[in-house]
Amino acid sequence: MKRNALVLGVMIVGISLMLWAGWHNLRERHIAMQKAEANHVVLTPAQPSQSAQGDDSEDVDPGAKLRGKTAPAFTLSTVDGKQVSLADYKGRPVLVNFWATWCAPCKIEMPWFEELRKQYAGQGFEILGITADVDAGKDVIAKSAQKIGVTYPILLSTDKVQDAYGGVEYLPMSFYVDRDGKVVEATTGLSSKNEIEANIKKIVASGSTTADVKGGE
Amino acid sequence: MRLGVLAAGLMLGVGTLTAQMGNMNGNAEKAKSYVIYDAEPQIVPAGKRSIVEMRFRVVDGFHVNSHTPKSELLIPTKVDLQPAAGVKAETAVYPAGTAYSFSFSPNDKLDVYAGDFTVKLPVVAKAGQHEIDGTLRYQACDHAACYPPRSLPIQVVFTAK
Repeated sequence: MKRNALVLGVMIVGISLMLWAGWHNLRERHIAMQKAEANHVVLTPAQPSQSAQGDDSEDVDPGAKLRGKTAPAFTLSTVDGKQVSLADYKGRPVLVNFWATWCAPCKIEMPWFEELRKQYAGQGFEILGITADVDAGKDVIAKSAQKIGVTYPILLSTDKVQDAYGGVEYLPMSFYVDRDGKVVEATTGLSSKNEIEANIKKIVASGSTTADVKGGE
Repeated sequence: MRLGVLAAGLMLGVGTLTAQMGNMNGNAEKAKSYVIYDAEPQIVPAGKRSIVEMRFRVVDGFHVNSHTPKSELLIPTKVDLQPAAGVKAETAVYPAGTAYSFSFSPNDKLDVYAGDFTVKLPVVAKAGQHEIDGTLRYQACDHAACYPPRSLPIQVVFTAK
């Protein structure tokens, strides 16, 4: 009798222990599930504003907005510290060229610019090279221009000027401004020497000029 | 998306995941990143000098200057890595570039990376998982235009066993 009671007691205790262990395991698993849920990260595709991609500015021809319009005015410092304004060249055809010391194609076309500048100097043609370098110092820019062999004014850009000319997202960018101060042509990327000369001829020929007008009005 | 990329994305933040990394099939459409980093985790022997690879892909239609461009004024492709506990890293080894010239000036030769390129990092690492943070500095161009220099955040994830 006593032995039966003892066996029954042991069985009850054993079953109770098993039930408690099962419940304990279930509770632990539930807590672990909750923790895992709390640490779960859902990856969602980045919105254009969140990422370095999805910018439309590079799909738009920045020059298209300026063609036929008055070239945005600017006053910038040269590498020598002088102040140069686009307005200083009123009545003259001007090529406004954005470049940088790290831009390989820029350095290919710049010697052509120098050559064509001399060729069309008689018609008042001038080139303003605006450097878009943000990190390079004045000395590096000046040395680079000297090494390339250009003698036209090299100006230090500002964000304001770059924004006015369409953001200057890539280089080289060239704006051909006629004697009336209008942008006749705008190009992005390296052009052939012939294309560059054709554009220079356009601005040399177009626009009103007192210097080239014969016979008065 | 690969598991390694996903893990790296979790660590670097969701915001930069699609911008800077992804599978190696990314395209340049509307992209402002011209190089993609393959953040696949690697396994190396613990305590022995071994090589961890940093695999990159330049987006189709673009190239970047090699680590040794032909001109001192051109910006070289360069990896900058921060020190990581339990990892002794040597100087990164860069691949040779390939010759490239713009169509309007065939005689002006540049030295560039296009397509896939791998930078090798010799390391001696203690047993365990390691993460080395860093950046890839590069300057990209296409067939006619160049884009401002950019920095791509990278994380080298590897296990030493």
